[in-house]
Amino acid sequence: MKKAISFLRSMTFGIILLGIIVLLSVIGSLIPQSQSAMTYVTQYPKLYRIILTAGFDHVFTTWYFLAVTAMLCINLTLCSIVRFNAVKNHRFEIEKAASIPAAVQLEPEAVKKVEAALEKEHCRRHEFEGKGTVYTKNEFGRFGTFITHLGILLTVIFWAAAMYLPRIMDETCYPGESIRLEDGTEIYVDSFSIETDAKLDYKSVVNVKLPDGRESGLKEVSVNHPVSMGKYKVYQQTYGTIGKVTVTNAEGVQDEFYLETNDFLSSDGKNGILYDNLYPDFTEENGQMQVISSTSGSYKNPVYVYTVVEDGLQTDVMLAFPQDEQEIGDFTIRFDDPVEYPGLRIKKTPGFVNICLLLSFLVMTAGLYITFFVQPVQVTVMPDGYTVSGYRQEGIRILLKEAAAEETEKEKSDA
Amino acid sequence: MLDILFFSGLVLYFIAMVGMFVAVVFKKDKLNQIAWYLFLAAAAAETLYMIIRGVKAGRLPMSNQFEFAASFSWGIAVILIFIHYRLHIEWVDSFGTAMAFLILSYAALQPREITELMPALRSAWFGFHIGSAAFSYASFLLAGAAGIRYILTYRKNPQDVRLEKMDYMIYRLIAVGLLLLTITILSGAIWAEEAWSSFWTWDPKEVWALITWILYAIFLHLRLGRKKSGVFSAWYAIIAVPVVLFTFIGVNTLLPGLHSYGTVILNMMM
Repeated sequence: MKKAISFLRSMTFGIILLGIIVLLSVIGSLIPQSQSAMTYVTQYPKLYRIILTAGFDHVFTTWYFLAVTAMLCINLTLCSIVRFNAVKNHRFEIEKAASIPAAVQLEPEAVKKVEAALEKEHCRRHEFEGKGTVYTKNEFGRFGTFITHLGILLTVIFWAAAMYLPRIMDETCYPGESIRLEDGTEIYVDSFSIETDAKLDYKSVVNVKLPDGRESGLKEVSVNHPVSMGKYKVYQQTYGTIGKVTVTNAEGVQDEFYLETNDFLSSDGKNGILYDNLYPDFTEENGQMQVISSTSGSYKNPVYVYTVVEDGLQTDVMLAFPQDEQEIGDFTIRFDDPVEYPGLRIKKTPGFVNICLLLSFLVMTAGLYITFFVQPVQVTVMPDGYTVSGYRQEGIRILLKEAAAEETEKEKSDA
Repeated sequence: MLDILFFSGLVLYFIAMVGMFVAVVFKKDKLNQIAWYLFLAAAAAETLYMIIRGVKAGRLPMSNQFEFAASFSWGIAVILIFIHYRLHIEWVDSFGTAMAFLILSYAALQPREITELMPALRSAWFGFHIGSAAFSYASFLLAGAAGIRYILTYRKNPQDVRLEKMDYMIYRLIAVGLLLLTITILSGAIWAEEAWSSFWTWDPKEVWALITWILYAIFLHLRLGRKKSGVFSAWYAIIAVPVVLFTFIGVNTLLPGLHSYGTVILNMMM
């Protein structure tokens, strides 16, 4: 049992797990993820069986990837505990250090250089009568690796929470209408616009009203700028364009309708128009008109395509432009300018998750900074040389070696 | 005007690189000094180019593959100058200059026209995320350059007194690179949540940034925990460079994903 725990908390085990994650990540990046089975059959005719059986089509959600990540968490937890106990006991023992004999023997002039170098490094000087002088700095730095590992562990945990706990809904809504959510939250879309310059951007103006009556007020939502209210965040996700007609009857009463493919506009069920589609643009060559079926951004020259139905029989396929009118019996149908509408992503996240994740990010970054840039220094300087002791000594060892060597070089050249 | 500045920087890097290698091989100190000044002139030209381009574009010049490569190369130059003057280390100059030149040469193969920033990139995180990535990759490449120099020096004389410092420099550059890459990944996650509603989407660029991060984290564990330094550490730093380059170039050109706006198809290379 002891052996098993010792292995679970070991660096070897951690490195093996990281190696497996790298390997699986390479596979997951080279093979397109979450495609239909047919895509793998056509793209990888010789490998698709292996891909589908091993779950390489969704590597990052397979049981073995999650198991490796869970084991890494266990490794990090045990490692953090052990590390904390180790670094906690690595306190500077300044008075004890003052009695350590010099491990590096130097001439008095070189010792002065070493002391000057330590002063330049802003080390604290501790003098003891009849003993050596101890220079110390950054005692807290010994916690660096512990904080880093703790930060990574918290990041993995809250990252998983941030990935799996939020509820995400994708909704479309026409300007002037609202989306009502299960808990009574209402998202009202006031307007929507498409920026039509070289780089496409789209913006909605929305108001989020929570069940308790709190409101965000009208706020603009665009890419990179979601609106937050309570546990909700509203993102500008996509957009669409829909055809619209105004129908006027013989008495002059008007009504507006949004058009969807195969909508049949009729007052008697026999005569009317059968709506086919709305196209964004068209070209004209030698009197022949050709509709363009795809575009990005606003529709430049929208064209409505529909069929007139007379006595239940479909007649000619017709084209219409905005403001064109079609008379059907007592009704007049006017084709209006198409309406652009947003596709919004609505995300509901438990309040603590994002804050905890951001704090974990900070802990991890701070840990790395402390590990590499706040290195503890404890040096005993005697009249005949010095000793570097304590935790992580490499940097200061090289620095002092250079300072002493500089003096030795000078002596040589003087001689 | 802008092109003249860009290409003069490129040519100066090339001359400086050749001068440094000749100076190292034939032990010509004077030539080395001149080559270093040429390198500084190249870095100055590149800096000026980046400033003018940024002013013209009205944003930080880091939005596409060309601009990122230029920033990457500039990052190498800035770190090299810091190492040279602040740490008084000159032995990495030649290979570091070669790295800056190669990355800028790659930039030269990309379309250079200034384009408007696409909506997905219009964010306060833009400079922070991409800037830290450029400096992180630059640190890793310079660690690779220091690794090459270590191996060459070691083969010539395993007792060379500079080896200890070279080894320490490789470790420090990787440590700085890892810290910056951490900032890149974490700031990218926060940005992704703002833009795409999710902190992480397993997009190929994210995955390869994570792979790079893990590889260098393993390096640091082996070095600090297992005391794997010296030749092992130098080779590790060298071998990891292609992974960094793949994360930068390969992913954008070969693996389509959410970061594909950084891609410009390499018409000239294909």
